[in-house]
Formats: sequence, structure tokens, C-alpha cells
Amino acid sequence: MNRDDPVKHLFLWPAFLVVLAVAMFPLIYSLANSMMSLRLVPPIPARFVGVDNYTDLLTNPRFWQTVRTTAFISITSVAFQFVIGFAIALALAKRVRGVDFFRTTFLMPMLVAPVAVALVARQILNPTMGPLNEIATFFGFPNLPYLTQANWALGSLIAVEIWQWTPFVILLLLAGLQGLPDDVYEAAEVENASPWQQFWGITFPMMLPISAAVIFIRIVESFKIVDTIFVMTGGGPGVATETLTLFAYQEGFKKFNLGYTSALSFLFLGVVLFISLVYLALLKPYLEKYK
Amino acid sequence: MSVRDLTGRRRWLAFAGCCVWFLFTIFPLYWVAITSLKSPPDVVNGPTYFPFIDFQPTLKAWHELLSGIRGEFYSNFWSSAIVALSSSLFATLLGAMAAYALVRFPFKVRLLSGVVFFAVAMGGFLLGRNVFGISPAMASILAFTIALALSVFLNRFPLPGKVLVNDDIVFWFVSQRLFPPIVVAFALFLLYSEMGKLGFKMTDTYLGLTLAYVAFSLPIVVWLMRDFIAALPLEVEEAALVDNVPQWRIFYGIVLPMCRPGLIATFVITLAFTWNEFLFALFLTNSKWQTLPVLIAGQNSQRGDEWWAISAAALVAIIPMVVVAGLLGRLMRSGLLTGAVK
Repeated sequence: MNRDDPVKHLFLWPAFLVVLAVAMFPLIYSLANSMMSLRLVPPIPARFVGVDNYTDLLTNPRFWQTVRTTAFISITSVAFQFVIGFAIALALAKRVRGVDFFRTTFLMPMLVAPVAVALVARQILNPTMGPLNEIATFFGFPNLPYLTQANWALGSLIAVEIWQWTPFVILLLLAGLQGLPDDVYEAAEVENASPWQQFWGITFPMMLPISAAVIFIRIVESFKIVDTIFVMTGGGPGVATETLTLFAYQEGFKKFNLGYTSALSFLFLGVVLFISLVYLALLKPYLEKYK
Repeated sequence: MSVRDLTGRRRWLAFAGCCVWFLFTIFPLYWVAITSLKSPPDVVNGPTYFPFIDFQPTLKAWHELLSGIRGEFYSNFWSSAIVALSSSLFATLLGAMAAYALVRFPFKVRLLSGVVFFAVAMGGFLLGRNVFGISPAMASILAFTIALALSVFLNRFPLPGKVLVNDDIVFWFVSQRLFPPIVVAFALFLLYSEMGKLGFKMTDTYLGLTLAYVAFSLPIVVWLMRDFIAALPLEVEEAALVDNVPQWRIFYGIVLPMCRPGLIATFVITLAFTWNEFLFALFLTNSKWQTLPVLIAGQNSQRGDEWWAISAAALVAIIPMVVVAGLLGRLMRSGLLTGAVK
């Protein structure tokens, strides 16, 4: 529709202004800070240092370590979330027994506060008082250091991420599955296509755009992971599970190294943008193929 | 996709798979619920699993929590509730308004004026703080206002370069979700503390936290509401236009009531986000307006192994959202979210 009325500005501007002032402007402020040497403790006067903060960070092995950790947690957990989520969404779309009950209960984890989830996970994974180790011992497995040994700690965090965010994948994929047209499947039935063929020949290609979007959203979101780790391991043991956000928090809030933290958060943004672009570039041929 | 429900063995396989996932999903929730009912010895002497069978449930932890023996709790609960509810409400309303404008009216923003905003805002801030020695908060407010005014003014002229239309503006909103919140949370904390030095307290206030939450919920609200509003039939609005009903009355009297299910879904999703949000609350509040997630995160170091008390506190944050999950499940059944993902 083509109608023009100056009142349109009244509708758009409040939201626009709030986002501009509270989300966009701090970004600019932060970018300006990232080129300064700025410390609160001990207070030294601000000094323009150009890209020194960035080069410092890029040569800091701890930065690359946190990038690797974050990427590892995020990509592994999203892969599991997608496979499990797709399977469950299919089962729900095909009206498995008890579908109404499952549909509501499966949603719950994603609405639980991550900090609460992390506290519960800590209890379950506790070496002496938690149920998991007791059950494992009962079946003859050794008592495992779920949160205190680097690889196990990463695995536990990924398990918690899968627990919490698979519901999101289920929610969106189920909505997508319900929107698929029936006639294609009817034709496939006439052709006697097996369910396996139907899935790879029809369902999967038709779900590709939404799958791509879901994976994209999940990867971007899980790159921001902080609350779960903050409570579960605090980045430990050592810095084995330290993610980018946690690193920035440590630098900014514990050391009050403001310029450095701002530079760090911009590099973080750069990493996210880089991964998004690579992802979209990798996916493009497939998306076009099935268009 | 409704063709052919599963049959025979596959049907049972799918059911078994769902049951396994259900157990995985429900176990942590079951565990926190029963732990909150345990007495200290039942926790410390190794895990116990079933109330009345291997431990005797007690309401001691709940009693201690609700009577406030273990430190302040109500204040966090109320600040969480007030901030979450009101910021979701504002975000849904403002977002719906913006989405309506973006669906029904054409907008043109010249890319160059956006660049001017960026350059003037950043340059002005640096100039004001480092050269003229104005306080950072004052410098940023000035730079922001001047940059905004200048770019709005410039937008009136036929500048060279790309012209951004409605879809680009929606993309601009949504792209905010791409930014790691730590970038903004930290900068916002600095800006708020600078404003505090000017005598305008923003950290640990209702306004400060709510504003941040509204700004961070808006992208998703605009994105969701745009689809809901675009799905509405035009005829009703056109009929009202012919009758010379003013635009704002069309919006509040016709459009909003018509997309009520979409509004509810959006509100609920935003509420879940704001209720659970941790990072902004951690940065921007410290006592009076501290929210539940921050309180709960702190339990760990404060209480050590007092799991009965920790579990009760965690449940207070979990239970409202379980209710919300039921509501969302019901909305999903009516196929409401189908349109939103296209």
C-alpha cells in the first residue's frame, strides 16, 4: 500500500530512538574508547594509542584460546541441538503418541534462567553429592571430574547448552514442518517413495532455508554464552572454559582496563561477523540449489 | 505437513525417543524441585532420589527463604518482576508501532546521512572529551544530539549514494542481535556511571535497566510483529481511512486488537528473555534493582553446598517461566508461530 502520512514518523521514531541511543550509541562510544589507553584502577589520564590495544590482543595467546573455546562450545553444541531438534520436531509433526504433552514439556528448558540451570547442573555433576557420579559408580564407571578437568568441563558445558537450547530448534523447525505443503508428500506416496527417500528428497531440502536460519541464530546466540559458564566453572579449571564474554568481563570488571576491554569486545564482534560471513558463504550454493 | 502419521514400529520408535528426551529434559527440573524439599543431611550424605522413600521432605528451605532469614529476597523478586513485565510491555508496544510503520508506510534513509551520524557522533565525542575537556557524559550527549539532528536534516536533501528502504531498516533493527551484548553492556555501564557524575543517576535504577532491556528486546519484537501485521487484511484499515479515522486510532482501535495473538506471543517471548537476563543486570545494577538471576548466581559462592536453599531460590526464578512454557505451548498448538518463521 502506498499511503504517506507524516504520522508514520511518530510510529517509528520511539523504537528507533531507543535502539539508537541505548544499543547503537554505546557501540560508537566503545569504539572511541577502544583506541584509548584508559584505566580506572589505578586512574591514569586517557591517552590516544590508536590500534595498540588491538595489536596487543591479537598477539595475546589467551585471546586466541578464548576464541577457540567459544567456537568449540558453540559449534559442537549447535550441531547436537540441530540433529536432536530435527528428529524430535519430525516426531512431533508426525503426531507421535502424547504429542500435546511432549510439545509443552519440551519447551521448558529454554525458558529457564541459564544461571538457575547452571546451579542445578553443578548439583547434578558434583563428585560426592551428585546423582550422576553415584549412578556411574553403581554401574562400575570411575568417579569422573565433570567440572574440574578441562575436557570434562567443556563436555559438561556443551551438555547443558544442548539441554537448554534444543527446545528452540524444536520450536522453529516444528513451525516450519507444519507449514510444508501436503500435496508433495501425497505425490511421493503415489510413487511409493520410502520414508527415508521422502525425508532426504522432500523434507530436508524444503526445510533447508529455515534450518540455515535456525543454525545461524543459534551459533550467533551461543557465541554470547556467559551466564552458564560464569556459574558452572567460572572459566576454570585455569582458563580452560573461558569464553570471549567472560574474558571481557574479567578484563573490564576485575582489572578495569577499559580501553583494552572495548577493543576486545570489538574483536569479539569481528569474530562473530567473520563466522557469520563464512557460514553464509558456505551455505549459499546449497540454498540456491534448492530454491 | 500432515500426510501419513507414523505407523507400526516407527511409531513406537519415535515414541521411545521422545520418552528418552523427556526424561533428559525433566530430570534436572525434578532434581531441583526435590532438592529444595530436602533437609541438610539428605543432601550432604550423598544423593537421595525419591521423597518419602529415601528421604523425608521438609519445607524448611522454603520457610527460610520466604521469611527472609537468609537475606533479602523479596526485593530482588519484585525488581525482577517489575523490570521484566514493564520492559516487555514497552518493547512490545513500541516494537508493534515501529513494525506497523514499516509495513504500511514507505521510508527512505540515505546511507550517507547514516554515515554522517556515525562520523559526527564518534568524532564529536572524541573531540569534546579530549580536546575541549568536557566530561565524557556531556560530550556523548552533545555528540549524539548534534549527530542525530544533522543526519535527519541532511536526509532531506538528495544526497548521492544508496537509499535505504523499509527492509533495510528492519535489517538494521534485527542486526542488533548480532552484536555481543558485552560490547554494549560495558559501554552502557561506563555511560551510566558518567551520567551519575552529572547528578543523573542511571546505574542501579529502574529507568536504566528497563531502558537497556527495551532496547535489546526491540529487534526481535520488530521482526516478529512485522510478520504478524503484514498478515492482517488491509480492507478494514482502508475502510476506516475512507471514513477519515485518524491514523493513531486505526492503529490502537483496529490493528492492535486484530493482532492480539501475535502481541501475546511476542510479549511472552520478550518476557522470558527479560526475566532470565543476566549480563545487563550484572553490569547495571548492584543492590536496589538487582534482579533474581544475579542473586541466584551469587548463591553459589555465598552458600557453598547449601543446596536446599540454593534450589529453593532457583525454583522461584524457574516456576514463573514454566507457567509461561505452558502458555507458549498452547499458542503453538494453534499454529500461531507458523507465520513468524517464514
